[in-house]
Amino acid sequence: MGDLFSNLGLGFSVALSLQNIVAAFIGCLVGTLIGVLPGVGPIATIAMLLPITFSLDPTGALIMLAGIYYGAQYGGSTTAILVNIPGEATSVVTALDGHQMARQGRAGIALGVAAIGSFFAGTVATIVIAALGKPLTGLALLFGPTEYFSLMVMGLVFAVVLARGSILKAIAMILVGVLLSTVGLDLETGEERMTFGLPFLSDGIDFAVLAMGIFGIAEIMRNLDHTEHRDVVRQSIGRLLPNKEDFKESYMPAIRGTLIGAILGILPGNGAVLGPFASYTLEKKLAKDPRRFGRGAIEGVAGPESANNAGAQTSFIPLLTLGIPPNAVMALMVGAMTIHGIIPGPQVMTRNPDLFWGMIASMWIGNLMLLVINLPLVGVWVRLLKVPYRLLFPAILLFCCIGIYSINSLPTDVVFIALFGFVGYMLIKFGFEPAPMLLGFVLGKLMEENLRRALILSRGSLETFIERPVSAGLLAVAAILLIIALLPSIRKGRDEVFTE
Amino acid sequence: MSTPHESPGAASRRGPVRAPQSLAGGLFLLFLALLALWLTRDLDQGTLGSMGPAMLPRWLAFGVGLSGLALIVLAFVKDGEPLERWTLRGPFFIIWAILAFAFTIRPDTWTIGPVGPISLPGLGLMFAGPLAVIIGGFATPEARFRDLVIVALSLTPFCMVLFGDSALLNLPIPMFPQALAGFFPAGFTQNSVLRTIAVVMAVAALLIFLTTRGRRDAAIDAADHGGRI
Repeated sequence: MGDLFSNLGLGFSVALSLQNIVAAFIGCLVGTLIGVLPGVGPIATIAMLLPITFSLDPTGALIMLAGIYYGAQYGGSTTAILVNIPGEATSVVTALDGHQMARQGRAGIALGVAAIGSFFAGTVATIVIAALGKPLTGLALLFGPTEYFSLMVMGLVFAVVLARGSILKAIAMILVGVLLSTVGLDLETGEERMTFGLPFLSDGIDFAVLAMGIFGIAEIMRNLDHTEHRDVVRQSIGRLLPNKEDFKESYMPAIRGTLIGAILGILPGNGAVLGPFASYTLEKKLAKDPRRFGRGAIEGVAGPESANNAGAQTSFIPLLTLGIPPNAVMALMVGAMTIHGIIPGPQVMTRNPDLFWGMIASMWIGNLMLLVINLPLVGVWVRLLKVPYRLLFPAILLFCCIGIYSINSLPTDVVFIALFGFVGYMLIKFGFEPAPMLLGFVLGKLMEENLRRALILSRGSLETFIERPVSAGLLAVAAILLIIALLPSIRKGRDEVFTE
Repeated sequence: MSTPHESPGAASRRGPVRAPQSLAGGLFLLFLALLALWLTRDLDQGTLGSMGPAMLPRWLAFGVGLSGLALIVLAFVKDGEPLERWTLRGPFFIIWAILAFAFTIRPDTWTIGPVGPISLPGLGLMFAGPLAVIIGGFATPEARFRDLVIVALSLTPFCMVLFGDSALLNLPIPMFPQALAGFFPAGFTQNSVLRTIAVVMAVAALLIFLTTRGRRDAAIDAADHGGRI
C-alpha cells in the first residue's frame, strides 16, 4: 500500500510540472473540440492530432495524447446528449436518455451528471490502474510466447463476441485485419510479402494510415450518404449542477457503472465497448419503473457514462503492463510511444517509472480538467455543433491530410488514406464492422512473432498451446466464449443488448 | 451466379439472392483471399517448426476465403439486408481531394503503373490545402463555391501557422513553393514569408466574406443562430 502511494506521489510530481499540466490541458481541450464534431470519434481524433505531440518529450506527449483521448470521449457524449448523434459506439447508450433529457430542457443536468459520473469513474479507474499495475507487470514477466499468443487469441475472440451484427462477418474482419498485418518484409527471412513490389509497403502498412482511412475518411464518405438532419436541442440547457434529488438518483448507478466499466475495460479485445451497454441493461433491470428508460431517465446517463469512462481508462492496463493494445485507440498509443522511442510492455514501468506513473497521475488530472473546462464551455460546443456538415467535413478532410502527411512526410501515406477510406466505405456498405479488423491488424504482427517463437520452442508441435496450463486456460476461455456467443438463446440476448 | 443488385428493395427479394448485402460482402472477401493467395504464390511456406514467410498469410487467406464462401451460401439461404444506397459523388470527390493534396504538397516524382515518372512541382500547403478543401467540398450536392473558398482561405493559413511556424509546432511540412520566396525582400526569413502569406490569405478570406455577404441566402450562415439555444 505504501508503495502505491509513493508511486502515485512520484506520478503527481511528474504530472504537475508546468509543461505536463499545459500538455494535459491542451490535449483535453483539443480532444474535446474535435470529439464534439459529429462523425469524428476518438480514433480519428488521435490519428489527426498525433503530430501536435511531436515536439514534446515522451512523457509530455503521452500525457497530451491521453488527454486527447479522454477529451474526445467526453466530447462524444456532449454531442450524443445535445444532438442525438453518437460519435462512436460507446456513446450510443448516452444518446438514448441523454437526448431525451435535453429535449425536456434538462440538457445541463444530463451534461453535468455525465461529467461528474465520468470524473468519479476516472478517479476510481486511476487507483485501479495504479494498484494493478505492479502485480500484472509481474505476471507479464512469467508469460512466454505461447501464453502471449493464446492471450491475443482470447482478445480477438472477445472482439468477435462484442462486435455488433453477424459473428461470421466479425470473424472475417479479424482475419482480414491479421492478413493485412502480414504485408511487408517478413521479419525472419527478410522476404517481401504482398507488397506489389512497392518500396513504401516493405515496412508494412502504417497503422495510423489504416486507422485514419477507415475511421476518418470512410466515416466522411458514409456521413455524406445520409441527408443530414441534425437535431440540435432548441431548449435552453438549463442549470448544469444536479440538485440533491438528481444526485440521489444517480450516485448508485454511477458507482455500479464504474465497477462494470473498470472490470470490462481490463479485458483484452475492447471490452470497454460493452461497459455502457451492460450498465444500461443493469440499471433498467434494477429500476422500479423500467418504462422511464428511453424517456430521459437520469440513471440511463449516469451509469453508462461512468462505465464508459472507467473502461476507457482501465483499457490502458493491458497496454502498460502486457504491451498488448486492447483496442484501436491503444494501438495508436503504441504508435505514439514507438515514435518517441518507447517500447510498450512490462519493462516500461521499471525503465521509465517517471513516464509510467506520470501518465497514470495525469489521467486523474485530465479528468479533473475536463470537469472544470467543459461545463462552462458548453455554449462554445453548441455553437460548434451548429456549423453545417457541408462546411465541416472539408475541414476534417484537410486535418486528416495534414496529420497523416506530417507523421512520415510521405505523400504515399496520404494516397493510402484515400484507398483505405474507400475500402472502409465499401466494408460499411457490405455490413462489416471495421473495428474488429483494426484490432486484428494491431495484434497481427505480435501474434505472428509469438506464434513463430512458440513453435520454434516446441519444435513445431501445436500441442504446446494446450500443454502449458496458462495458455490452455486462456484458449479454453476463448472457446467457451465463442460457443456461448453462438448459442441461439444467448445470441438473441446479445442482439437485444445492442439494439436497445 | 447473379451479380449483386444495385437497387435494393422489394425487387431483389424475389430473385434467388435473398441477402444481397451478404453476397456482395462474400464476393469481396473471396476477392481479397484470392488476391492474397496470388501474391504469396512464390513464397515459401516452411514447416510448423520453422515457419516460412507464406505460412500465416496463406492460412489467413484460406480463412478469409472460407468466410466469404459461407457468406455467399448464406445469401441464397437466409433472408438478409438489401444493399444500401450507394452514391459515387461522395467518394469520388473525397478521393480526388486527397490525391490533389498528396500530389501537390511537396516536390516529388511519381511512377504510377506504366505512367511515369512524373515530376510534380511541390506547391506546399498554401495550395494543397485549398485544393483539398474545395475539391473535397463538392462531395456533397449542397456545396457552395463561395463558402468553400472562404473556408479554404481561412483554414489554410491557420494550419500553416499552427503546424509550420517556428514558434508553434514547427513541423517539416512544405508551406509554399520555393520560387515564391524569391519575390520577398532579401531580409525575410522562411518564417516571415510564411506569416506574410498566411496574413494575405486570411485577409482575402475576410474580403470575400464581406464583399459577397449580401448575396447569400438566409440558410447559409449558422453562426448567426449560434448564440442562442
